[in-house]
Amino acid sequence: MSYRKLFYASNFLLLGFFAWAFLKDYNAEWKTYQSKYYEMTAQDLEKQAAAAKDPKKAEDLRAEAKKVRRSPLEIKQIISNDLGRYDRCITCHVGMDEYTNPTMKTPFDKNPYKGHPGVDSSLVKAHPFTKYGCTVCHQGQGLATSTEKAHGWIKNWERPMLMGVHIQGSCVKCHGNFEKLKGAEVAAEGWHQIQKHGCQGCHVINGWGGVISVSLDDIADKPLERIQGYSFRRVKIDGQQLTEDHEEKWKLQNWILGHLVNDPAYITPNDPFAHFNTEPVPPSGMPDYTKEITVADANAITAYLSGLTKEEVIPYRYHVSAPPAKEPTFADAKAHGHYVFQKAGCAGCHGIDAVEGRRRFNALGKGQAAYDPKMSEEEKFKNMELGREPHLRELMGTYTKPELVAKLQAGVAASAAKKWSPDGPTPVVYMPAWKERLTQKELEDLADWLLSTAKKDDTGF
Amino acid sequence: MPTLDIEKIKKEVIDSQLWRSVFRGGVWKDTPRDRAAHIIGNVWLHLHPVKVRPRALRWTYTWGMGGISFALYLLLTLTGVALMFYYRPTIGLAYRDIKDLEFAITLGMFLRNAHRWAAQSMVVAVIAHMVSVFLRGAYKKPREFNWGVGVLLLTLTLFLSFTGYLLPWDQLAIWAVTVGTNMAGATPFLGNEGPFGGLIGMRINNDVRFTLLGGTMVGENTLLRFYVMHCVAVPLVVGILLILHFWRIRKDSFSAAPLQANEEKVDVWPHLVKREYIGAIGTVLFIFLWSVLQNAPLEVIANPNVTTNPSKAPWYFVGLQELLVYFDPWIAGVLLPGLIIVGLMALPYIDTNPKGIGLYDWKERKFANTMFMLGIVMWFVLIFIGQFLRGPNYAWYWPWESWFSIKAAPPATWSVFGPHGVGAFPLLLGIPVVGALFGASMLAPKLIQKELDGTKTMLAFLGAVAVVWVGGMLAHKMGPVQGLFLLFFTGMSFYFGFILPQRHIRALDWARYLVTMALVVCTMGILLKMCARLAFNIKYVITIPAISMNI
Repeated sequence: MSYRKLFYASNFLLLGFFAWAFLKDYNAEWKTYQSKYYEMTAQDLEKQAAAAKDPKKAEDLRAEAKKVRRSPLEIKQIISNDLGRYDRCITCHVGMDEYTNPTMKTPFDKNPYKGHPGVDSSLVKAHPFTKYGCTVCHQGQGLATSTEKAHGWIKNWERPMLMGVHIQGSCVKCHGNFEKLKGAEVAAEGWHQIQKHGCQGCHVINGWGGVISVSLDDIADKPLERIQGYSFRRVKIDGQQLTEDHEEKWKLQNWILGHLVNDPAYITPNDPFAHFNTEPVPPSGMPDYTKEITVADANAITAYLSGLTKEEVIPYRYHVSAPPAKEPTFADAKAHGHYVFQKAGCAGCHGIDAVEGRRRFNALGKGQAAYDPKMSEEEKFKNMELGREPHLRELMGTYTKPELVAKLQAGVAASAAKKWSPDGPTPVVYMPAWKERLTQKELEDLADWLLSTAKKDDTGF
Repeated sequence: MPTLDIEKIKKEVIDSQLWRSVFRGGVWKDTPRDRAAHIIGNVWLHLHPVKVRPRALRWTYTWGMGGISFALYLLLTLTGVALMFYYRPTIGLAYRDIKDLEFAITLGMFLRNAHRWAAQSMVVAVIAHMVSVFLRGAYKKPREFNWGVGVLLLTLTLFLSFTGYLLPWDQLAIWAVTVGTNMAGATPFLGNEGPFGGLIGMRINNDVRFTLLGGTMVGENTLLRFYVMHCVAVPLVVGILLILHFWRIRKDSFSAAPLQANEEKVDVWPHLVKREYIGAIGTVLFIFLWSVLQNAPLEVIANPNVTTNPSKAPWYFVGLQELLVYFDPWIAGVLLPGLIIVGLMALPYIDTNPKGIGLYDWKERKFANTMFMLGIVMWFVLIFIGQFLRGPNYAWYWPWESWFSIKAAPPATWSVFGPHGVGAFPLLLGIPVVGALFGASMLAPKLIQKELDGTKTMLAFLGAVAVVWVGGMLAHKMGPVQGLFLLFFTGMSFYFGFILPQRHIRALDWARYLVTMALVVCTMGILLKMCARLAFNIKYVITIPAISMNI
């Protein structure tokens, strides 16, 4: 080809490529949704006009339809300065834009065309969209203007949209009174479940709890970068393992949920036989709650925890605090003791109402074979898994009250654990010292209640 | 019916006062005089000569890479200025502005893509330009100085690209820049972690890294500094050097190709100009196509508390980062790049071979070309390893291995001359032994005056290594893979570090010989250290913790 031809061809190609780039930009995804919304609305208005009996009204409706059809396509956004949000969700969800659609109701029932559900509810009235924006409750990528990216179902967006009941976590961010809040029932249930199963025995939650495991007070800020590795891939949601491709399921909520609907020791098996490390590392010390917590309850807990953030700065005037919690009073020392058992999260390790000892990897437990170094790794693993926390009801008979109170006060150091396999990992869970965190009265009442639960043998002792 | 006399209209337009005032010269008649006037009378073109030798025009001769680099520089300036209208260099706004480019600004994503891809391409184009200039021996007298300017321009191209890396303020940005600037902290004397740095009072808050970052870690000041360097300071210096570079090309004549008898020059307009135009527009087409098809990456917003795993430098520095596996930062990040830059600039003064100037002649320039290409290949092999074979914790992951699988921690390493090594006294034993080895490899090729039979010597050497291998296996100290590593790396070093110099440069004068051999031996040192680390888990050969000097 001669240079002259090349000259013309390349110039035209350049023009063509630029046009291609421009058209790609011009035909943005959001425009389809917005124009379809206007078209559907106009058709609806025309239908109304045809049905209208008053000719003046019909004329008005037709004019309105014409106006709607002619609406310019534009990126719409809500700027919430207080909350630092710039939400363009209403670019596609036009029916939820107060300026385009003042009633916020549409005759359409499909996203992105439908209006926001419950616009007449006190919940929505208390949170005008023009002030709050969208993502402060729903999460997702407010700046984005295409489906996958806006909902955050992509790699490199840490907070994808909260789906289903998980959105109630957002109530917890501002409402200290969420337990009695209408609309936050699931989050409140999550909080109650946490109390019931004693999660606070090991985790700090809502400002109070143990230090055996990580604090969950900023769990919603956990960067995916920290968790999206080997262990995250083992999480099973609805019985299905997460894929390697980053998609919708790659979100913090599935990491939390995964710990409740799977055995955490399966998710985080670590390295109990020191294949990869110089020292053996035990699997996750978190007990297996799959038999105790239903999927619905697990989702409730996930919803509640999704609201525990420290990173997100919300101005103080947006916070609603709860009335100071009153310690309930008990006439009976044993009833108070039972309450303390619940409050302190003892159930986390010793079971609800102290009916069992939960798993404590490589500690001693019932049904274990005698340790033999020649055992296969599977066999060793099976026996290590049988390690248990003390079963308090069986144990209480061997204590006097002063002994028990002293033990509760001092706790038992992790290093004092008796290991089943002497070469195996040290059990991670241990008995914390309660001296600083429970009052003397609480401890004594707790001891009273514990002693009263002691299993009695035939002779009555 | 009036006819449309195009010739007449054309004449009237050209003869009009308006046209005459804008364009100098009369009606275009395509005479040699017209063509010359076109070059001389145009401010943009007059850096060209009027005539040029046809040999210098061939694509196979220039590869067009110098022109393409400049075209990319112009494209980068245009797209960069456009991007500056939308970008604010503060940590609260930078990332959001990049998101706005993607989601709200007309052609914003296209602009950013074009800028990104052009920057990556420019690095490649400039390196290719250097390779072509080297291989045709065009850096020799009288072009030594311009080669030096070119090396500076290459360095500045890398630096421009590196400073731009931070601006999107995502995880990729801060961690790549953290890796890059941490290397600067290991500069001898000037960095707080480099040898002798502590001795002359370098601390984390007054060393060269601090100057680059405007703080002790990547933050708001760093962003502003990098922004100003990227958009103003460095382009200014590059612009000045480019003018110098072009001026010297014009003055030292456009091509180093040797003169041929009765060679007739051709007009630059149109012969050179049309090639330049096609090269430039082809480049733009390539960048546009790439920008339409692929979006520039953008990761999670920068978070100094969350280190990405693995954290990698920009790809063109990943080779240096890979060297960090084998050497301490002051060697991998400062000494070796410094040697590369200084060595490249010194090349025309070392290589005084009068043959092979201005043409691709491998036979006449066997030694120079082989060593240069070995360096280029090593640079890209290291980049390949770092970019594609390193996964979480910078462990070795083959491309078919999932990053979600767990790898064992790397085996413990040891030092040959160090506290727990073979010789526990690095100063007494290590320095003399390593010094003697270094000296011997430096001197041996010149001291053996008779040319050795290459094949026989090589085979004898490989035989000796094989004996060591077999001995090691019998003593259960070495496995088959280790033996292969040993054979490959020592074989390479022996061939390029002894046989080739012995054959080609033993006749050089002492000064040039020693400089050349120092560079050669350093290159071989890299190969040998890679072998030691990969196959034998040797961390250092010598370690002197007292002055943080480990080799």
